[in-house]
Amino acid sequence: MDRELLAHGLGGAKDLPISPELAMAGAVAALVVSFSVLALAWREPRFDDRPGRPAPAALDRAVGSRWFAVAVRVVGMAFFGWFLLAAVLGENLVINPALGMFYVLLWVGIVPLSLLVGPAYKALSPVRTLHAGLARLTGSDPSRGLRDYPERLGYWPAAVGLYAFVWLELVHPDSTQLGTVRLWVAVYVALMLLGGALYGDRFFERADPFEVYSSLVARLSVWGREDGRLVVRSPLANLATTPVGPGLVGVVAVLFGSTGFDSFRESPPWLRFVQSSDVDAALLGNLALLAFCVGVGLVFTAATAATGVGDDVRRSALPGLFAHSMVPIIVGYIAAHYLSYLVEYGQVTLVQMSDPLSRGDDLLGTADLEVNRWLSYHPTTLANIKVLGVVLGHVLGVVAAHDRAVRLLPRRHQLTGQLPLLLAMVGFTAGGLYLLFAA
Amino acid sequence: MGFWQKDPTPRRNAQMSAPIRPRLRVATGAAVACLALLGLAACGDDAESDTTTGGTTGSQDSSPDGGQPTDEAAPEAEPIRVTIEGDSIDPAGERVEVAAGEPVLVEVTADRAGELHVHSTPEQEIAFTEGTTEHELVIDQPGVVEVESHDPDLVVLQLEVR
Repeated sequence: MDRELLAHGLGGAKDLPISPELAMAGAVAALVVSFSVLALAWREPRFDDRPGRPAPAALDRAVGSRWFAVAVRVVGMAFFGWFLLAAVLGENLVINPALGMFYVLLWVGIVPLSLLVGPAYKALSPVRTLHAGLARLTGSDPSRGLRDYPERLGYWPAAVGLYAFVWLELVHPDSTQLGTVRLWVAVYVALMLLGGALYGDRFFERADPFEVYSSLVARLSVWGREDGRLVVRSPLANLATTPVGPGLVGVVAVLFGSTGFDSFRESPPWLRFVQSSDVDAALLGNLALLAFCVGVGLVFTAATAATGVGDDVRRSALPGLFAHSMVPIIVGYIAAHYLSYLVEYGQVTLVQMSDPLSRGDDLLGTADLEVNRWLSYHPTTLANIKVLGVVLGHVLGVVAAHDRAVRLLPRRHQLTGQLPLLLAMVGFTAGGLYLLFAA
Repeated sequence: MGFWQKDPTPRRNAQMSAPIRPRLRVATGAAVACLALLGLAACGDDAESDTTTGGTTGSQDSSPDGGQPTDEAAPEAEPIRVTIEGDSIDPAGERVEVAAGEPVLVEVTADRAGELHVHSTPEQEIAFTEGTTEHELVIDQPGVVEVESHDPDLVVLQLEVR
């Protein structure tokens, strides 16, 4: 790999578009499954308040122990420290691992990790560790701030933070310049520490974009806690425990909308339009990213609110109460969108991490690893996995929404009330598949 | 811990004992539908990629008379032409299908010397001089590869390598 300055997005070749037949098959499968669920599935909620099975006591003790928490924090800080070493002292070259650590291992890797082991970022979070360290230095309690976190803010700070990340990654013209990434991370750490000091630990649960993302995806894992005990639950039962709060719809809209935009911006028609337009490319990118996120949020809000409701539920509360059902759709689409990127650029990043200062070092012993590009050389298999991921995510999303609908909606509205959301979900999935085909 | 707190929304009585049959029916019906659809699509796809590995064109259709408009993918026939004049570059983001591992001829006609960056894995460069330069490009790894100019910053081509 040469040492040219970075002027291009990370990674080389991108995935081939999926074939139109496969996209159609996926969309039809999504449609068929959706209406099967609506027509045939259960009429009583199954996932709410469903107790999990206790995990083995030894496991519960181990992961609940102090040494485990400290060990995980050390891993998180080591990763963060290594990133800082490369980002601050390293050179602004394509072989600097800081970019891959930030855009691939952190941003994309957080999804499979949280899916496997639960809320991983919460345990690893370097800002939580720094916050706890500061609290210890000043002899105060890290869980308490100067005042209580204003609950009406909810997840909105995280939605804004996630938007700031996708804006950096997808729109900022210098997203792969080291200085830009350094500045972004510096602002992130500063704001998190400030918020932590002001509002205590609760701030990270609601405002740290990475933690909110990770903990949301972790609701699709099998791990949960009931009265402090570690339990194993079905992912759908786990998903139903997602805490609702203001801004949750904003979070899912940013996550889904931005991933859609990432596919869209590579499509030839958009590329030609941007390059032939007199308007600044960054401005067009900004507008399109915003349109995707706001569009997803509006469609979802309208689709969830367009139903008859009983006396016990306010209509305006419905979008938040259904927001968890978007999580599987997001995860499925993210898997499709990022799978080869994570596997292959993730390996490249591991190789580069041995040489954070671009001096030809082999500090971690990974410098000579061969990158396995099997996925890229098997585009048909890759395309099948991608469509399977999207359809599976859609199925789980529809089932989660159905279960919530039969709990919340009065009986006479249960079928018709679900229709708008069902159609919106089919639209999201078909749109996602279309983008995988067209981009 | 606050994080794991129960969802504070009002709820109806949750019943654990909903019948299992409809769920099974849905699951099996859905699974069969999915598998059938995906299987069909995947099969057709596989055959296609098999012919591509041996053939010279990346055409979607392996019909023998080859009347499909995929001639641009045949490397020997037509070179991919790029024209650079001042700040204008033609084409501006056109998608062209090429075959993996096969040579592709790129013909650059420019009013100055410079280079185009080929963001394949590994990266390649097309250096050109004033006048017309021919460059033979071989890309082994399938995928969409962007060919960019950095002066001005433009995506010139997207090569769909199959």
